[in-house]
Amino acid sequence: MSLSVQDRAEYIATFRFIQVFLMEALARWVPQTPESEVKVLFGRHIWDLAQQADGLGKRGYELRSPSQFSLRPVDSYVELLEEFARTETTPQKIHGFYDVMLPGLAARYQNYLERTDRLLDEPSVRVVERILGEFKRMIGESEALRKELPELRLADKNWPAKLAKREASEPNIVVRRSSAAVA
Amino acid sequence: MAGLKPEETKQIKGMTLRRDPAREACFKVVGSDAELEEWPGMTEISRRQRIHRHMNNETGAVEIAAQCLVDFPEAPWELRMHLARQCWDESRHVAGLYRRLREIGGHKGEFPISNFEWCVTCSLDTLAARLALQNRTFEAGELDLLGQLPAKWREAGDERTAEVLESILADEITHVRFANQWLRLLVREDRRLALKIAMAVRFLSSVTAALAPQEGQLSPVGLAYEEPQNRITQVNVADRRQADFTDSEIDEYLRQSGFQPIMTSNAEG
Repeated sequence: MSLSVQDRAEYIATFRFIQVFLMEALARWVPQTPESEVKVLFGRHIWDLAQQADGLGKRGYELRSPSQFSLRPVDSYVELLEEFARTETTPQKIHGFYDVMLPGLAARYQNYLERTDRLLDEPSVRVVERILGEFKRMIGESEALRKELPELRLADKNWPAKLAKREASEPNIVVRRSSAAVA
Repeated sequence: MAGLKPEETKQIKGMTLRRDPAREACFKVVGSDAELEEWPGMTEISRRQRIHRHMNNETGAVEIAAQCLVDFPEAPWELRMHLARQCWDESRHVAGLYRRLREIGGHKGEFPISNFEWCVTCSLDTLAARLALQNRTFEAGELDLLGQLPAKWREAGDERTAEVLESILADEITHVRFANQWLRLLVREDRRLALKIAMAVRFLSSVTAALAPQEGQLSPVGLAYEEPQNRITQVNVADRRQADFTDSEIDEYLRQSGFQPIMTSNAEG
């Protein structure tokens, strides 16, 4: 059974919420992070995340949601996002964002692509596939910076795995529209 | 200063400002632009110092736009998109200037830095007031400066830096333009914002006066400060028009600044 139009709208709006949240997390970190090169990396990716959110917001409108509509995910996932946004050290921010949160979101997008009707929902597929390509570039840029600046390497090698476990612990993050708050 | 917690502020010469953003330990952060080294002419050290200072200003611009995204989540999405785009542009400016700084033998932390624009702008509690100061005042001033600087660098034989500055100028026009357009819209919708903007401009004047060098004070490189009237930059009328300032706004700016209407016909000055 493929996703209904209502299902698709809810997924897309939930993805938009996460994209906006991640954009704001990077924005919050820019002034708080001392390293110039990392500020630049985050500053560049704020725009990527904003464009991705915008694309999802426009697609949601085509799926009969209000324009640029966001749907808050399940509480446990929002708690994870909020906790992650409070990350303090630069290596944790970088490893958490580019090694855990973006790949985790990419897996959710892949799951969406597998479940939706790729013909009837092709506009969403195009938006999501474009985002996935951009995630690869963003992750690649973070890896290049980490090669250039070894001080960005993480001391606690187990930390990303713990975060990844939490990220993956909630497979379904979408809340039915009727009971969700608008972001 | 409404909305800021005490730990987010700093006191300097009787003024309460937003605390500085994070910087690497290699940087010496000073409290005012008067404490910055300003080397005369276009000597090697002067060139490095100019690019180093510009690089930190652009870093501040990324930080201000980013902080606006954080502090004003309820702003219209289209306006937030402009701010996000500005983060990208300013980040590229920082990277371009840092690349150029290294090419001419400079390095991060070689000169003291000041975060004046951040400390003033991010003290303000409305997005309209921040756009009025950061984009419509500081960045518009940069249009004037960047209208002249490429020619100066070319005269000194540095084509590469001139090209970097011209690229930055083109981007800055778009930042001033979206601020002008959105400020008109926001004020039309809520007239009280005009008062907030007027208060922001007055706040900037007060801080500028408080942090100005004392009479007879020498700069950190041992030179007398130039009188304000000798620091006048040609008004870049063409690019201010591109940035959607109206002719009457440009005339008013010239008049209020006490400038003779020295008009440049193009961005190069």
